[in-house]
Amino acid sequence: MARTLLVVIAALGLSGSAAAQTSDDFFNPEVVQRIELWLNSSDWAKLKAAFQENTYYPADVTWNGITVRNVGIRSRGLGSRSSTKPGLRVDFDRYSNGQQFLGLKSFVLDNLTQDPTGVKETVAMRFFSRLGIPAPRETHTRLFINGEYAGLYGLVESVDKTMMGRVFGAIGDNVQNDGYLFEYNYVLGSPWRFGYEGAALAPYKARFDIKTNETHAESTIWGPIEELVRLVNNTPSSSFEAAIGPRLDLGAFVRYIAAQNFIAQNDGFNGYDGMNNFYLYRLEGSASHVFIAWDEDNAFLQPDYSITTRNDDNVLSRKTLELPAYQAQYFGFLSEAAGSASDWLLQEMQRQLDMINEAMLSDLLKPYSNADHTAARQSLLAFPQARITFVRCEVAKQTGAPPPSGCQ
Amino acid sequence: MKRLLNVALVIACAAAPAAAQDKTGLVWNDRPSIVFGEDVSVDLKGRVLMEWRTFDPAIGEDTFHLRTARVGLAGELTRHFEWEIEREIGEVEQEDGTDQIAFGEWKDVAIKWKTFDKVRVIGGRFKMPFGLEQTTGVTELDFAYRALGSTAIAPGRDRGVMVFGDLGRVGYEAGLFDDDGDNGESNEPQFVSEGQDLEGVGPSIAVRVTGDLLRVVPGIGRLRSANLGIAYTNSKIPEGLNSLRGESFWGTEDFFERVYVKGRRQRLGAQFEWTPGPASLKAEWLQSREQRKEQSNRDADLSDYLGTAWYVAGTWFVTGEDKDDNVNPRRPLLKGGPGAIELAIRYERLGFESASKAGTAFTNPRSEFLTPNSDTVFTAGVNWMTSRWTRVILNAIHEDFEDPARSTIAGTTSFWSGLVRLNVVF
Repeated sequence: MARTLLVVIAALGLSGSAAAQTSDDFFNPEVVQRIELWLNSSDWAKLKAAFQENTYYPADVTWNGITVRNVGIRSRGLGSRSSTKPGLRVDFDRYSNGQQFLGLKSFVLDNLTQDPTGVKETVAMRFFSRLGIPAPRETHTRLFINGEYAGLYGLVESVDKTMMGRVFGAIGDNVQNDGYLFEYNYVLGSPWRFGYEGAALAPYKARFDIKTNETHAESTIWGPIEELVRLVNNTPSSSFEAAIGPRLDLGAFVRYIAAQNFIAQNDGFNGYDGMNNFYLYRLEGSASHVFIAWDEDNAFLQPDYSITTRNDDNVLSRKTLELPAYQAQYFGFLSEAAGSASDWLLQEMQRQLDMINEAMLSDLLKPYSNADHTAARQSLLAFPQARITFVRCEVAKQTGAPPPSGCQ
Repeated sequence: MKRLLNVALVIACAAAPAAAQDKTGLVWNDRPSIVFGEDVSVDLKGRVLMEWRTFDPAIGEDTFHLRTARVGLAGELTRHFEWEIEREIGEVEQEDGTDQIAFGEWKDVAIKWKTFDKVRVIGGRFKMPFGLEQTTGVTELDFAYRALGSTAIAPGRDRGVMVFGDLGRVGYEAGLFDDDGDNGESNEPQFVSEGQDLEGVGPSIAVRVTGDLLRVVPGIGRLRSANLGIAYTNSKIPEGLNSLRGESFWGTEDFFERVYVKGRRQRLGAQFEWTPGPASLKAEWLQSREQRKEQSNRDADLSDYLGTAWYVAGTWFVTGEDKDDNVNPRRPLLKGGPGAIELAIRYERLGFESASKAGTAFTNPRSEFLTPNSDTVFTAGVNWMTSRWTRVILNAIHEDFEDPARSTIAGTTSFWSGLVRLNVVF
């Protein structure tokens, strides 16, 4: 058995000791990790020069004494793409079928270029997890490229089959990870708010990038999305829940948009330019869809962010919240989020800021100064208490409940 | 001065061939030709190759395909020189997205000095001397398409100068070329830092020696007439994703993608050709070896990248024509005969791998141990020469990939295809 294990480890191209290490250790939010990437110097120069392209380059990756050879890395991101500090995606099975690391097929290195605090994304995802919203595990890492410090990065779990299995568990003996997973594709200049775009599948295919079961028929992959959008748009309130409920977990959806609102995420499902930054998962053997959180680094915009921001702009959120039961759930979830945040959010922000402080200050490739970081840090720390009070007061106004103390 | 001219005229007449041309002006010598006099002529050449194809399963290719359309001029310029120019004609995409018939790539553009059999010189753009099938004209092939190795490993055409000749039973070719052939061009726009110069593939050298070397071997009967040859090329390859690669038979997908290389590319080839009567037997073995200096993930040297190909092919004229001659139907179709009918089969393989087999194999283009993959192809065909200018080719092709993950058709490692080809050549 021991010999078999050795062969398996060798076959995976791993060196070093993986004993007792798990993916939870890898994404442990209590520590700043250290990850080393080794890639041919010309490839690193090429990746930085062509940072807008998704070209893969081979590399070796080392974490905690474990080296995985011949992984694939590429530049990633939308507005966060950078030539000096590229965001990276690391794929373990790019060049060897089935190669995994701690059970992971890939992970993401978030370059934190759009968030001078460096912790918005990681705090938001931990908060979502506390609220029971499917969200990737995240922490921070010092990244070294060919032995040189390349800056502080967010270490982000990929939203993939592995994560679906972790989040949704098993149905009997079958791990719930073989459904249809889509990454929402924000189309620049074409904001979309769940309006029906016709019976042809092309518009939905353009907006929902399929990440699993890619070889299945287009009608199988995108047909249910077209149907969902059509029914959301065409079904009257009286039969809305009966028609949509089997196709979308409405309770989970309301919880998701309420949580995004609580953290004042201005670039999420009800974002300033239409929908953005989420995954959609159609459960295995089911017609039901669930939203998965992604990319929350624009969160914590301002404490007085309206608690109904753009809910009426989006067809799905508007028609869902027109139903009294779901409207009540929405405000209930906001109150729940405020309660969850009251004894946790500020402490967590403070803890993470302290944890990354040294790595952040020594990061010379970040596109903002240390003074910018310090100012952003102070601003962020002022958010939790003000937001909690604001949300509680606004919910009271909306629901007609007695206002809590501190409301104006 | 006049005496000197007379002496030169006498020498020139003495040098002229015994058999003078019968006609001058526009004549037909298997093709339109303008004859200006002894050893001075211009021939018009043309060829159109059209085919209708079927694929099982479908691979997204059209049924009808214009394989090649070319026009060219060739001729003699005294008994000392021959020349040839040939250019592709095809559909060229215009700026507005429409296709228009236009001239395409230049093919052969060369002039040959041929005064002596033992030492001749050719210069211009022409085929490098590597690969029996690659250096056989597309209309002279026994199959509709060349074997995989003949297009993936053999270099093809390039600009250069070559010395060649016949030394009794041995022929030789040795050339110096600008790059490394059309099939070996660099792929990746080279990444250079400020101040660095762009590098291209080449220059390269190519050498081939052929001959009926088995004549010295006793007791092998008719096999003594077989022709054997060996060939070698050597060129410089710039850093980048510039290696040779494995394309599927129809060229639609790669079953082995390019890897990072830097250093030298060498090829070694061996060829065998035997044409006893109406039959033929041909075989080739070709290998490329490319260096990967400083190409690991940590800038260290990697083991060489190897491409290996071979094929064995046999043909037989059921109508009895002699394969060794310039084949013309004994009884052409237009004269009431069946034309010339030939059966042909070929079995071939093209594979790529690293020289090192240590550790775990990866498809990573910077891996020390590259996961091997190969394409094995069986082709069976019938060639029907209805006249000396027209030929119909039927080929059935079975392709089989070694690595299921890199099969060019998802979900299957082997599949069939077929074609009917019409060649019109003058």
